[in-house]
Amino acid sequence: MRKRYVEAPGRTDEASGLRFFRKSEAVDLFFVGYGLLIVVLVAVSYAAGVFRLLPHDPEAVNLDLMLAPPGTAGHLLGTDFMGRDLLARLILGIQAYFLPGLLAIAVATVPGLALGVLAGYGAGRADRVITWFSNLVDSFPRLVLILLVIAAFKPDIYFIMVVVGLTNVPATVSLVKVKIRFLREKNFIEAAEGLGLPRRTIVLKHILWHHCRASLIIRATLGMGEAILMETSLSYLGFGVQEPTPSWGNMVQSGANYFLQGNFWPSTVPALAILLAILGFHLLGDGLNNLLERKAVY
Amino acid sequence: MSVSPLLKIENLKTYFYSKGRQAFIRSVDGVSFEIRRGETLGVVGESGSGKSVMALSVMGLVGAAPGVIAGRIGLKTDGVQKNLLQDLDDYVERVEADDRVVEVRKDVVGWQKNVERLMAMVRGKTVAMIFQNPKSSLNPFLSVGRQITEAIRLHTPCKGKAESRERSLYWLERVRMDSPRLRYDNYPRALSGGMCQRAMVAMALSCEPSFLIADEPTTGLDATIQSRIADLLAELKADLGVTTMLISHDIGIIRRLSDSVAVMYGGMVVEYGPAGKVMAAGPESGHPYTAALLASVPDERNIRGKEPLQAIPGDVPDTIHVPDGCRFFGRCVRVTAAVEKECAGRLPPLSEITPGHAVRCWLYGES
Repeated sequence: MRKRYVEAPGRTDEASGLRFFRKSEAVDLFFVGYGLLIVVLVAVSYAAGVFRLLPHDPEAVNLDLMLAPPGTAGHLLGTDFMGRDLLARLILGIQAYFLPGLLAIAVATVPGLALGVLAGYGAGRADRVITWFSNLVDSFPRLVLILLVIAAFKPDIYFIMVVVGLTNVPATVSLVKVKIRFLREKNFIEAAEGLGLPRRTIVLKHILWHHCRASLIIRATLGMGEAILMETSLSYLGFGVQEPTPSWGNMVQSGANYFLQGNFWPSTVPALAILLAILGFHLLGDGLNNLLERKAVY
Repeated sequence: MSVSPLLKIENLKTYFYSKGRQAFIRSVDGVSFEIRRGETLGVVGESGSGKSVMALSVMGLVGAAPGVIAGRIGLKTDGVQKNLLQDLDDYVERVEADDRVVEVRKDVVGWQKNVERLMAMVRGKTVAMIFQNPKSSLNPFLSVGRQITEAIRLHTPCKGKAESRERSLYWLERVRMDSPRLRYDNYPRALSGGMCQRAMVAMALSCEPSFLIADEPTTGLDATIQSRIADLLAELKADLGVTTMLISHDIGIIRRLSDSVAVMYGGMVVEYGPAGKVMAAGPESGHPYTAALLASVPDERNIRGKEPLQAIPGDVPDTIHVPDGCRFFGRCVRVTAAVEKECAGRLPPLSEITPGHAVRCWLYGES
């Protein structure tokens, strides 16, 4: 655990001028709030899509207004090379990630948890088989696997995210396994067994819920950031979400062609969005972790 | 009292297999004793004599580690004597040579399942255990009160939220926790060692077990807290009359609380009998080990007379390469020329010297 309340002798918080940021709880709440803001944006995106609240149709081409700079009347963030409104595309582009990202997390977490418990509590053979398979999956280059899936099926973001999730299973397995291995030797787990608590309660409540939830939440939020990054790289290769459906990745890709002509905004705006979103998810995980784990002291 | 005993252990053997040394560690090697209802049995012996492993064997907590448990642990639950090691032999193939296990093949999964099945009705409900190291035996992620409430809801008819909360507050008061309402919501790290031990005692007793195993309840606490915990145990013993197996290497607490005493050495009981007889042994009576153990307790002569403390020379015996003869032979100061050959060559039996008082020593013959 990080110790945040340690003060250096002879230096007070007031003097350092960082009083607000020394109060870790405030910082954590700020992080969580930032993360939640992103969740709100996701909701806004869906609402805008469903209720047609956007001032412009994100897929409407307007060849009179190609590459209009930010601040142009009616186009707050400008337009791209086909004159499509960047703000509208940015807002709707969120949808390209959200559900696929959740799918990737679910695919990584649910089987990972089950296999991790099996490997951690099971006898030697189950552990060996699961570890062997984990290593096998881990040793496979991820991008190659994804390209294989795209070649075999079609460049669908959901397929891609299932593969991303599957390649994350070994990490979840080892996380849960190591936690269980570490904890089952602890006196308080033995004491709980001695008290007659059923093994199910011990595993689900005492080990997974109380000791693994923070790590799993972090993994999940990091996974969301990773999903965004993965889509961006695939879009750059032309395998991600396909035009004209907007995604931040293909916005960066198509905008990059005009970057050196001085029209920087069509690629910079979505790139900044990607940066802030990934940062937001990481901070959300960090803040949640600190809030949840404040009481944990071994 | 001719009542059948609450717990009757017969020839209990708990061995662990050491892969590195290709041999069995005989942690508990043929222990037998019984505890009657309402009685407190003190188990005393130095570290490594097998006391804790014996207690864990009774709880079925020895785990699936490659090893073996043999013998009989008869425990009365709901008026019926049940063998806690029943059917376990079906999962184990043992090769024995002159009363010693030399090879084991074990179906670990089946064995573990069977242990869980047998112990599910016993743990907490009939037998509860107070572990050593109270601070690490409480879950650091749950408040103390919630841990006790969890036990209460599991084992007593108290199921409601408010009801079980009241009940655990009652137990916290009962174990003389100060300001129980405040402590209820505290996490273990906020409690001192003594408070944690009180919480552990409350948790064990809140299940209303008929049999309590206290495994070194005072170890790791400082001296004043030790005597307070001993006071608490004495008080609870007088009030509740719960049958107890008290494991300790603190002679003082054993002497104070137990009705009968088993002295363990090298995985075996070397002396067993009523507390008065075993603990009163002078330098020339009882088992030489018990006498040496009692002599090593600091007394007036050490404190006022500044005499050096009496230590038992030598080390606890290796439980892998056990000697053929008496396990205390190498450290015994009372070996006489008459019995020396027997002491070195043959394991003495546990023989009664007076009714109810048995000693495992060749000095007392084979009767």
